[in-house]
Amino acid sequence: MKRHMLCTTLAGCLAATPLFAHYGMIIPNDPMISQEDGRSVSLQMSFSHPFEMDGMMLETPVAFSVTREGETSDLLGDLQSATLMDEQGYTLDYPIDRPGTYIFAMEPQPYWEPAEDAFIIHYTKTYVTAFGDDEGWDTELGLKTEIVPLSKPFGLWEHNVFQGIVKMDGEPVPYAEVEVEYFNEGGDVTAPDELMITQTVKADADGVFTYAPPSDGWWGFAALNTADYTLPQDGEDKAVELGAVIWVHFEEWTGQ
Amino acid sequence: MIRCLAVAVVACALGGPAAAHKLVVFASTDCEMVLVEAKFSNGNAAQQGEVRVLDGQNTVLTTLALETGGTAQIALDKVDHSEGLVIEVDTGGHDNYWILTPEDIARNCGS
Repeated sequence: MKRHMLCTTLAGCLAATPLFAHYGMIIPNDPMISQEDGRSVSLQMSFSHPFEMDGMMLETPVAFSVTREGETSDLLGDLQSATLMDEQGYTLDYPIDRPGTYIFAMEPQPYWEPAEDAFIIHYTKTYVTAFGDDEGWDTELGLKTEIVPLSKPFGLWEHNVFQGIVKMDGEPVPYAEVEVEYFNEGGDVTAPDELMITQTVKADADGVFTYAPPSDGWWGFAALNTADYTLPQDGEDKAVELGAVIWVHFEEWTGQ
Repeated sequence: MIRCLAVAVVACALGGPAAAHKLVVFASTDCEMVLVEAKFSNGNAAQQGEVRVLDGQNTVLTTLALETGGTAQIALDKVDHSEGLVIEVDTGGHDNYWILTPEDIARNCGS
């Protein structure tokens, strides 16, 4: 529906569709859980065009886990089916019993995207700090591909820069392309041009990228690379887009 | 009551030193002992400090010294925990607190 607000003609809408970026999403109710907030965090997992609030089906993930202080626990069996952005998604209420940084990560099933003639696999993660302890905020999970944060991935003010290293198989990816998109949760943000829905930056020779968002809220960073393998579809080998996705919340500046 | 107490404690904490090396205080119980843990935001355990245990009426029940390694232990049945406990740790330069709520205690006491 909101897509129409950005299009003046049907042809324009059709042409614009491929421009919208896909994002795996893990969105907690709060990225910084204080002791007054309670003893749990609520998570919503989806697959979408987040600026457009345009959901796509998220099949049961291949893996879903939490990592804290180097220990990873499988949470796949704890996911609850839910409808998010009018599509299949998942929720999870995860009890938190100790301070620390909890990193939630999801490996989805390959998503066949006919428009791109390719599969999409977005390794998605987000960092939640609990009870004032931010130790472990720079943890690298060792995913097939991931963005390792150089900026603490929570507690950032709006307009702060976020920096991370794009990695594939544990190695930095020089000049990796990183797409950045706002989770337009309230649906009240419109883009004056479709090209502004998905922002794009490139990493440097060491795989380091930098971005400063214009507002508070949840921002998704997706580093996209083509896998060194293919998957079959309709009797043909098809390319696989591997996305390293991290969701970061920026806080509203409270100064004058 | 425990929430009112928390407000007062927060007010005290805000008046303390800057948070460049913020003190992280946590307490848990296995229903026999209360284990207090205090560390700095860089991960180093607090090496010394005073631990104050308060009840839900803001009454200090007991004080004890933080042990090397940043821990301290209190027998749960030696303190009135019916309205929860507030555990304050003061290292001299930094202080912070943890509220062990009645729900926290009940959860770990199997009730």
